[in-house]
Amino acid sequence: MIVQTTGKIPLITLVGPPNSGKTTLFNYLSGKNYKTVNYPGATVEYSISRLLKKFNINADIIDSPGIVSLSANSPDEKISIDALFNHPLYGQPDLVVITVDSSQLSRHLLLVKQIQNCGFNLIVALTMNDLLEKRKQLISLNRLRITLGCEVVRIDGRTGEGINNLLNVVSDNLENIKFADKRSPLSQSFYNDRNSLLNLYREIEQIENDVVSDIHSNGNGFDLEAANAELNILNPSPERKIKYSLDSATLKIDKVLLHPKLGGVFFFLIMSATFASIFWLADPLMGMVDDFFAYLSSETAVLLGSNWFSDFVSSGIISGTGSVLVFLPQILILFLILGLLEDSGYLARGAMIVDKPLSKIGLNGKSFVPMLSGFACAIPAMLAARTIPNRRERFLTIFILPLMSCSARLPVYALLIAFLIPPDKSWLGGIILASIYIFSVTSSIIIASILNKFKHKIIKEEDNSSFIIELPSYRKPKLSFILTNSFMNAKVYLQKAGPVILGFSIILWFLTYFPNTNPQVDTTGLTQDEIVQVQEVERLSSSYASDLGKIIQPVMTPIGMDWRVGVSLIAAFAAREVFVSSLALIFKVTGDEETLQASMHQSMREAEIGETGQKLFTTATITGLIIFFVFALQCLSTVAVSKKETGGWRIPVLQVIIFTSLAYFLTFVTVNGLRALGVN
Amino acid sequence: MKKASELKYGEKVKISEIDFSHPSSKRIIEIGFTPGQEIELIVRSFFNDPLAFSVRGSLIAMRKDEADCIKVA
Repeated sequence: MIVQTTGKIPLITLVGPPNSGKTTLFNYLSGKNYKTVNYPGATVEYSISRLLKKFNINADIIDSPGIVSLSANSPDEKISIDALFNHPLYGQPDLVVITVDSSQLSRHLLLVKQIQNCGFNLIVALTMNDLLEKRKQLISLNRLRITLGCEVVRIDGRTGEGINNLLNVVSDNLENIKFADKRSPLSQSFYNDRNSLLNLYREIEQIENDVVSDIHSNGNGFDLEAANAELNILNPSPERKIKYSLDSATLKIDKVLLHPKLGGVFFFLIMSATFASIFWLADPLMGMVDDFFAYLSSETAVLLGSNWFSDFVSSGIISGTGSVLVFLPQILILFLILGLLEDSGYLARGAMIVDKPLSKIGLNGKSFVPMLSGFACAIPAMLAARTIPNRRERFLTIFILPLMSCSARLPVYALLIAFLIPPDKSWLGGIILASIYIFSVTSSIIIASILNKFKHKIIKEEDNSSFIIELPSYRKPKLSFILTNSFMNAKVYLQKAGPVILGFSIILWFLTYFPNTNPQVDTTGLTQDEIVQVQEVERLSSSYASDLGKIIQPVMTPIGMDWRVGVSLIAAFAAREVFVSSLALIFKVTGDEETLQASMHQSMREAEIGETGQKLFTTATITGLIIFFVFALQCLSTVAVSKKETGGWRIPVLQVIIFTSLAYFLTFVTVNGLRALGVN
Repeated sequence: MKKASELKYGEKVKISEIDFSHPSSKRIIEIGFTPGQEIELIVRSFFNDPLAFSVRGSLIAMRKDEADCIKVA
């Protein structure tokens, strides 16, 4: 197929092996630094962008997942290869830019040669040149250019060094193809079988020998001229062998962190510290947000007087939103720590440590990163599962991902936990939250191992289970980059969750305020404050929400709860966080002098089930609610993504049925079990 | 013939052959393990599996049964 380039914007496709600096270059060229959300798991989807105007080249550029070769091992690699040969929307690229890590020249040239062999018009961009220099080696660009027969430039995508050079070359290249009559069609044949791969590597080793030379130290620094001169000798000795060495700092750190015995201990410590800090570090920040919204709500109520509009703004909008925004610091810190772990290079090592136990229950070491991302959100986590080559392991990973405690559950847990612990023992909160995390992970492991017993029913085909992964050198994380990335992730979270939460807050406010807006109550002998309270109780119990709640009351009674919790649980199916704003509305949190949370707890503590005099929120029912949220699949977007990633309704339907009925059943057992044991 | 999975720490050896019959052998070649290359066992993971080898200046982890298909001299 020949692509007509005249009259159409040229398309540049970026390809490169994993860890070759491809996405960094893409971000630099497209200015999309933080617009593409970078959850852990690196690139698993392609993104397209117009080149920044300041570069003066009118072209589109595609970034796609890293690939080792042109034969795909997993779905993320397939996305890249498909995008390269014939993108479903944009067709074939006019130019391919390949990023190659200079310190990994021979391994990365494999992809270059394969792509070249197919007839693509390409430019090689050498990255990580500082690493090669550290190894006291140098690549001759001229020689590489001649041997490969294509343009080669040196770049640093982080600092922008060499990018102008790359852009000049790109611009010239695009000019040339514009004037060329036609391009030769692509061939899909590349060195693919094992023997040709070995031959290809032999060819590459020859190239490497020709273009790489050692930098000799001449007393005051490195002698680059001598190295260049050496490269200019036409025929370097064929016996010369390239010296490879691993980063010595990485070797030292791995001696400790990947120690055969202590490695497991360090893994456990790093994971525990991660989850403990989510709760503890965020605590002071949460207090600040909470105080702010409580102040805002009470000031508004005073300002607008006592009418339905005032109630709408202060309870419906401000308190509803505030009760969710309180948890933003926790979400921010979660993203921050995940970013640190990824950027430092530990994530691949964590995957290596858990591969053995995970493979016993039908998962894979490569399930680790998706599972960890699942603590932020199940949706990017399911996309990250594309890196798992084996189809059955991938489906099983996707299946259990909704059990990971995603950030949407944090507001719910934080509210419920705060209810369980005495105010003077707030340190207990971190421990309980950590236990919930451990509990949810343990449950997912048990469920995975049970499902693994039925694996032949889930997917019939047998294919090779494999775990081959590059452990990148440790790097000092770029803190500014991670910080900005975390803020952007939190922003995306707010943009997605915010409107849903606000919308539902407004609907719920309406349902709890109408139709009996001005209830007639017996006011004899009551103070003004008490009259307001009695009115509010009366208004709520004759509201639409109450009518709706009475329908679901029979379902709620066995698990020790009433219609008010039922309505909130239904609302939580839109987004789990809505549970919190819904409770805030139903239990009429009017920000007095106290904080939102405190006044919410106060009215929750006083709540009784119907006329029975039995308290609604007890240790038993709160624990039951936590169990419910651990298991229930209450997120419609997750169901949609699960359907897309597994290519059918079978997995998502099974997920909804199994997880939601399990949630109800276990809540029933917990609440009634605790009551039987005398815990109320 | 000795397999890469039987190496001891710090033992530097040359790959003599890759067993093509293993389904992972293609990826193992693609990622840089080819006859003649020197490899060294760097990491033995917590459960003694997977293992990580240095090859061509990178550190690559793979399962023990996958390392079985790398024959060393």
